[in-house]
Amino acid sequence: MQIPQDLIDTAKLKLKSVQSEAEFFQLRAQFLGKKSYVISAFASLKSLDPKEKVLAAKELNILKEKLHAIFEEALEVIQNIDEVSALDVTLPSDPYLVGAEHPISKVAERVISYFSALNYQVFSGNEIETDYFNFEALNFPENHPARQMHDTFYIKSKSKSEYLLRTHTSNSQIHSMLREPLPLYMLSPGRVYRCDSDTTHLPMFTQIEGLVVDENVTFGDLKGIIINFLEYFFDEKMEVRFRPSYFPFTEPSAEVDIKFGDNGWLEILGCGMVHPNVLTNCNIDTKKYRGFAFGMGIERLAMLRYGVQDIREFYSSNLDFLNQFTS
Amino acid sequence: MKVQYSYLKNFLPTTLSQAKLADVFTKVGFECDLDGPIIDFDITPNRGDALSLRGLKREFHAHQSQKLKDTPSYKKLKFEKDKTVINKIDKTGCGNYHLMVITGLSSIKNLDSKKRNFLSAAGVPLISPLVDLGNYVMLEIGAPMHVFDLDLLDLPINVLFNSNNEPFQIIGGDLKNLEDSSLTIQDQKGVQAVAGIIGGEKTSVSNNTTNIAVEAAFFHPDKIVNQARKYGLATDASHRFERGVDPAIQKKALERFHFLLDDIAEYDAVKCFEGNSQALKEKFVPLSIERFNNFSGLMLTAKTISSLLENLGFTLKSTNKKNLSFKVPSHRFDISLEEDLYEEILRCYGYDNIPINPPKPGPIRSKNKISITSALKTGLVFGGFKELMHMPFVSEENFMKLNSNSNKPAELLNPINENEPMMRRSLFEGLFSAINFNVKKGYSSLKVFELGNVFHRRGDNFIQHEHISGIVYHHEPQKSWDSKVIPYDFYSFKAEMHKLLRIIGIDDLQLEPNSNNKAFNLNSMNIFSGKKVIGALGEIDLAVTKKLIKNTAFGFELYPEEISYNSKVLALKPISKFPSSTRDINILINKSHTYKDVQQTLTNVSISLLNNFVLLNTFEGKGIPDGFISMTLSFIFQSAEKSLKDAEINDSMGQVLSILKKSLGAEVRS
Repeated sequence: MQIPQDLIDTAKLKLKSVQSEAEFFQLRAQFLGKKSYVISAFASLKSLDPKEKVLAAKELNILKEKLHAIFEEALEVIQNIDEVSALDVTLPSDPYLVGAEHPISKVAERVISYFSALNYQVFSGNEIETDYFNFEALNFPENHPARQMHDTFYIKSKSKSEYLLRTHTSNSQIHSMLREPLPLYMLSPGRVYRCDSDTTHLPMFTQIEGLVVDENVTFGDLKGIIINFLEYFFDEKMEVRFRPSYFPFTEPSAEVDIKFGDNGWLEILGCGMVHPNVLTNCNIDTKKYRGFAFGMGIERLAMLRYGVQDIREFYSSNLDFLNQFTS
Repeated sequence: MKVQYSYLKNFLPTTLSQAKLADVFTKVGFECDLDGPIIDFDITPNRGDALSLRGLKREFHAHQSQKLKDTPSYKKLKFEKDKTVINKIDKTGCGNYHLMVITGLSSIKNLDSKKRNFLSAAGVPLISPLVDLGNYVMLEIGAPMHVFDLDLLDLPINVLFNSNNEPFQIIGGDLKNLEDSSLTIQDQKGVQAVAGIIGGEKTSVSNNTTNIAVEAAFFHPDKIVNQARKYGLATDASHRFERGVDPAIQKKALERFHFLLDDIAEYDAVKCFEGNSQALKEKFVPLSIERFNNFSGLMLTAKTISSLLENLGFTLKSTNKKNLSFKVPSHRFDISLEEDLYEEILRCYGYDNIPINPPKPGPIRSKNKISITSALKTGLVFGGFKELMHMPFVSEENFMKLNSNSNKPAELLNPINENEPMMRRSLFEGLFSAINFNVKKGYSSLKVFELGNVFHRRGDNFIQHEHISGIVYHHEPQKSWDSKVIPYDFYSFKAEMHKLLRIIGIDDLQLEPNSNNKAFNLNSMNIFSGKKVIGALGEIDLAVTKKLIKNTAFGFELYPEEISYNSKVLALKPISKFPSSTRDINILINKSHTYKDVQQTLTNVSISLLNNFVLLNTFEGKGIPDGFISMTLSFIFQSAEKSLKDAEINDSMGQVLSILKKSLGAEVRS
């Protein structure tokens, strides 16, 4: 008896194009139904002589089992397809809320990330401060007009020292120099206060102070780090200008401008070499150590980075505004 | 200081355009704003010497590498000492005092229109020709002057601190009660001017004036500063004296006044007097070339340095090539240290010409606590929370209602809004308002947080703590488009907080019922890390929100300063290769016990083979006696060494039941 050897391959091939359970059963009937070759071949075994009959029956059984196995396997796959009902996957997700950091936080972190990579330590500072740390130790002479430029909030107090809300983060320079070992590379972000309020000024705003005290620090080092930082912050090479200015706690002092958009030169931060009186106030040997310091307003950086027109928006808690800062 | 460009251009002189000229001054440290035909110079408070045309000219010349040589035209006058004209001078307040007496004035006419326009542009009001001339000379060379009507003065003059209790009438008519700290110009009848600030109405010049006494003096800045402010005044004179005036130019100022007077008036005689002046101290500042070059990163020679400083009026006094010494000119009272000279050199050399060094890293130090706040913030952002920021000023009422520890407030002396004089003690007030504001705008589901400092007073000290606080609020339950309600309750919120605190690395986290935080109602808990309270969470007490929040809201308050990372090395447990077995039981306990009691009972003793247990559900009501609750607990047993037999598990379950019965009176419910 001749048993066709390509039956298995033919079955496999035909199963591949089966799309539904109905098609599958039709095909199975062709290969394993009453009229199929295998089943009718069993019927024709009768006509064979006993020796041949045993051999052919064995071969036919193997073939039948193989076919069964192929069809069983295929059925499972087809049934699984049919169990899944198609969804309209374009319908909306369940409601969810997108969290986000405040733009001021994002900008502060962007600044911190640059300096952290250079091993600057990050310290927080006191917002309620004594006159000594906010002014005197920073070389603001008593009654000097430079103090009048800081519209200071004072705090009711019974103690002898005058308490105030710090007018700048520079107080953290003094605290860190008194506390930390040298060389010192530090950054101190935080809130500062001036009793002044209009569309461009808020009574509270955010600054980041930077300070380096090390041997052989030069004005060129200060320039280098500021220029490099600004390039990092704005993601492009910036046109930067250092111009002489005055802060009682730095000598020389500089104000840094950048060319930004069509606005021409824009003031972006203040910096300078730490005034020797400030180092002396912190018990630092000015023959051995020098320093530079810088300070910047985060709201100003955020307004430039995001194109915010009104500084008050940052503190309005208006989600229509804040929802735009998710990325 | 506002200066008309056209006037300045002729004065310097220069051909530079207005914008170019402004750029030059900005580069040497005088930031300029252009305002039509005017250049507005921002003169920093250390540079009183530049508050005049001549001061600006000096800077301009130095920038062009030139020395200011020419002086304004004047006729030399002789100054006499005469006790009948100038008598006592308090030298602690007054360095020198001069009077120029001019008699028989006639045919007085206005200053020429150029000078008048220049004065107007500078914001100096035109008063009368003689006063205007004094003001002009002040703006030209920097010495404030005052013109008295000589006939109304009762000489001699004394310059003394005030001892008069009567109100003093200033020019314009206002009465001021002078303080004893104010230096005054007194004649024989009393105070006639407040030194360096303003003259008196009584002795001021009028249209009938024919005899004048023109004052030019030097008052010490520390005796003038803040004085004008005390009387609600700010004058051109006080602005200059507070910042410092060159003590060597008073005679020249009078001579210049006298010279220009010829243009506007005729007179009979002029006579000049001076009081006992303090001798001007010569000041020398050393400069080491090597130190300067180290400081700046430049390599300048002694010659370059000297010429830069000489252009500003400094005089080289030593011939040692390495260590120079410079005599400081009288107008540069701001210079006393070597570093002050560095600034002058670098300013004139140009900050732009200083080399740029690549950034240098600092030494590696250990991490600090800022990383905990940033971990918390990251966790919150992933949890869908939006960060907000608010001003820290609150009303006394708001301070008190959230003041959980009866702390004393930190209170401002000069608040912007007098209804909000306190510094906040809690971040919740701002969050309540923010939720109210945004719900009104139509937002229904909100998760918000704030990171900031809160304050209070303890005795004479002020205490600052960092808080992170947040609120979850669903004005209406969240629903999906297929009407599926997404439930959110106390336990959903607690799960979020657990997840947040576990993920930032707190492994000894404990929550204990009943926080005394005033922001929450009785459904609240203190959060512990070990024995330290690191925060609280709970259902917001709607009463404290004063209707800002109307439905159930959940909040948390965390204290990052109290959280410390566990830096201990992990001791890993071996993982069992053998299967675990689970047994569930249903127990009935009195409701006076909390789930925490069950938990503690089971963890306080060691039950053999017990790996873990979880609460599957709780049930009260039908079939459960009043005051009782049914809890279904699932226990997981596992051994590291073998597969467990039923008998062994039964034995452990026996231990579980017996300890629950003994400690809590729990019964198995069938």
